[in-house]
Amino acid sequence: MQNVGEVIQVIGSTLDAQFSEENLPAIYSALKLEVKRTVLGTTTTETLWCEVAQHLGGGRVRAIALDSTDGVQRGAQIADTGGPIAVPVGEETLGRVFNLVGETIDGRGDIEVKKRMPIHREPPAFDDLSSKTELFETGIKVIDLLCPLVRGGKAGLFGGAGVGKTVIIQELIARLARFHSGYSCFAGVGERTREGNDLWLEMQEAKIGDTGKRVLDQTVMVFGQMNEPPGARLRVALSALTMAEHFRDQTGADTLLFIDNIFRFSQAGSEVSALLGRMPSAVGYQPTLGTEMGELQERITSTSGGAVTSIQAIYVPADDYTDPAPATAFTHLDSTVNLERGIAEKGIYPAVDPLASSSRILSPELIGEAHYAVARRVQQILQKYKDLQDIIAILGIDELSEEDKITVARARRIERFLSQPFFVAEQFTGFPGNYCSREDTIRSFEELCDGKWDHLPEQAFMYVGAIEEAAAKAETA
Amino acid sequence: MANRRVLVKRRKAVRNIRKITRTMQLIATARFQSAFSRAVATRPYTEKLAELAANLTRTAGGGATHPLLVSRDQVRRSALIGITSARGLCGGYNSNVLRAAVQHLEELKGRGIETDVHMVGKKGIGYFNFLGREMVEERTDIDDRPRFEQIEPLANELIGRFIAGEIDAVHVAYMRFVSTSRQQPELLQLLPLKQDGAQDDAPASTAAVQYEFSPDPAQILDELLPATVRVRLFQCFNDAAVSEQVARMVAMKAATDSAEEMITSLTRQYNRARQTHITMELLDIVGGANALT
Repeated sequence: MQNVGEVIQVIGSTLDAQFSEENLPAIYSALKLEVKRTVLGTTTTETLWCEVAQHLGGGRVRAIALDSTDGVQRGAQIADTGGPIAVPVGEETLGRVFNLVGETIDGRGDIEVKKRMPIHREPPAFDDLSSKTELFETGIKVIDLLCPLVRGGKAGLFGGAGVGKTVIIQELIARLARFHSGYSCFAGVGERTREGNDLWLEMQEAKIGDTGKRVLDQTVMVFGQMNEPPGARLRVALSALTMAEHFRDQTGADTLLFIDNIFRFSQAGSEVSALLGRMPSAVGYQPTLGTEMGELQERITSTSGGAVTSIQAIYVPADDYTDPAPATAFTHLDSTVNLERGIAEKGIYPAVDPLASSSRILSPELIGEAHYAVARRVQQILQKYKDLQDIIAILGIDELSEEDKITVARARRIERFLSQPFFVAEQFTGFPGNYCSREDTIRSFEELCDGKWDHLPEQAFMYVGAIEEAAAKAETA
Repeated sequence: MANRRVLVKRRKAVRNIRKITRTMQLIATARFQSAFSRAVATRPYTEKLAELAANLTRTAGGGATHPLLVSRDQVRRSALIGITSARGLCGGYNSNVLRAAVQHLEELKGRGIETDVHMVGKKGIGYFNFLGREMVEERTDIDDRPRFEQIEPLANELIGRFIAGEIDAVHVAYMRFVSTSRQQPELLQLLPLKQDGAQDDAPASTAAVQYEFSPDPAQILDELLPATVRVRLFQCFNDAAVSEQVARMVAMKAATDSAEEMITSLTRQYNRARQTHITMELLDIVGGANALT
């Protein structure tokens, strides 16, 4: 016997429904209604999913619509499904593209669903968490050196508009997924639909290692992009996460979870919050910002059963890192990669800010004395250069002491050497992508700090891999 | 944005720097006047003396090859006097002179010639210490008002060593004062005295004048040539002093200007940050109030 209610009010992307007091659907329960939409005389019927968010009293519930509420009429029948939204999980989802309710959207027909999992779950238990700490090599010099990723950890790519977050996340997919034996999940949250399409096409072409298998065949993609209403953008990350969790728990293999962009999740939460009638908090965000972020982030974690390594892009509104949304996400991460507009403006990509980026594992016990020492030296030189910049701007470089002049020259070389050609950006830069092993990276920067390469022109350090390539570039130029 | 306090602090720092640079500019302008008149005042004497020496040399004939005039075929050891300033904040003044000096040293070293470096001025000494180059003499007592009594012993010592054959050449690296808008680093060969150089200074008409000498030219030359060397060296110091002040004036003017520019941009950034903050707080209050009603 299905529990059926009636729509009594539609407010933007939320709607109120009347149920009987005895059969009130629980919070997070999925509601389902059929919507008739008539366009130019043709009527189509579509299923609209909603999620209960509030109990208003008197048998009324307020629900968030997970798709457009166009065409919903008061008095329409709305059915309680008796549980939260559940998405298909398991091997049959591989290679496919889904929306947040688990419907395929890649036009290749439905999948045979063997198992579904609810998107709302408790995070893994306290004693179940894995405490392994291991560096996850990316082959990107600046990341491996200064903000190394943690295998089974969380990394955040912070950056304002147009500094290259999406490019880096795509590059990491290209680098990590290609040499990755386990499965990968990608969640497109409120970003451009085109980017999702690009990624999808690229994954079809890319092969894993030399196995001849397509990257896509090991990947699940879930999209709820900019065009979707806030409810969809709020839940799509959870859907992808649920799929990733299943891979982690069932296969025990390392699973990669990419999310682009976690800020859109907060933003959607804020839109929904206003519609639910909550009082806005700091900078107009929802008062529950921290809770929502915590509920999502705490689930992205490695357990004794398996590891999830997640890489998240986080948009920083107006380049202001103190904005509540990025600030809330910040605390959850093992490794933060900050992208800086000033560096992007110099034409140095990836525009990683070497002084603001950091990683939990950047300590001598975890990555080794040598790596730690070189990373700190690089940061010291760059910090010194930054401190001197005002003096240089006012008095000119001639007023610096001889030591400082050398520091500045070296810092400028290091700054340029932190750039690197990307595989996914090959068509823009004209340089083939480059993978620089951690040993090469450490050695190169150590020699650079020691002043072994002071004689090369600055330009030679742009877009090269290991230091020998800079020397080679200087010779040909 | 939360960096308003940082902006205020930075602006304050830049303002302080501007205060210093502006003061330095004014001081340099005042000092330039006196240094300029000194350098210009000694110049006619230096030139006339050089002219006279050139005339005499010619009159005395090829036979009178005074030791200070003869350039030696084989140079084994030379000396270099580097004239730098005691204080900084003068733009590229010191680095230009030192670059010329180091270039010269490298060249001599390439030819297998050892050089004794006499460095004048704290900046040059500091630089050579930093490079780890040896200096036989470090002088910091000559400031921007060089006195002849200070220069004379140095010149005499070098003349003595040159004549004794300990050194075969002496050069001076300094900033030549061409005009107020033009100074260039120069490497002057002090010893052996360059005759063609002296001839250039002397106009052709005066060169033809014949004199009668008493005592004979050779004897006069013995007096005159060392004097020429001394005066020439003194002129180098005077030139360097003016150039330093000009360089400081220009550098400090530029510094003051860029400090001003920076203050403008920092003020603008601060105002914007402040306004953003106010707007944000207002929005929060209004939003909160609206939500309550």
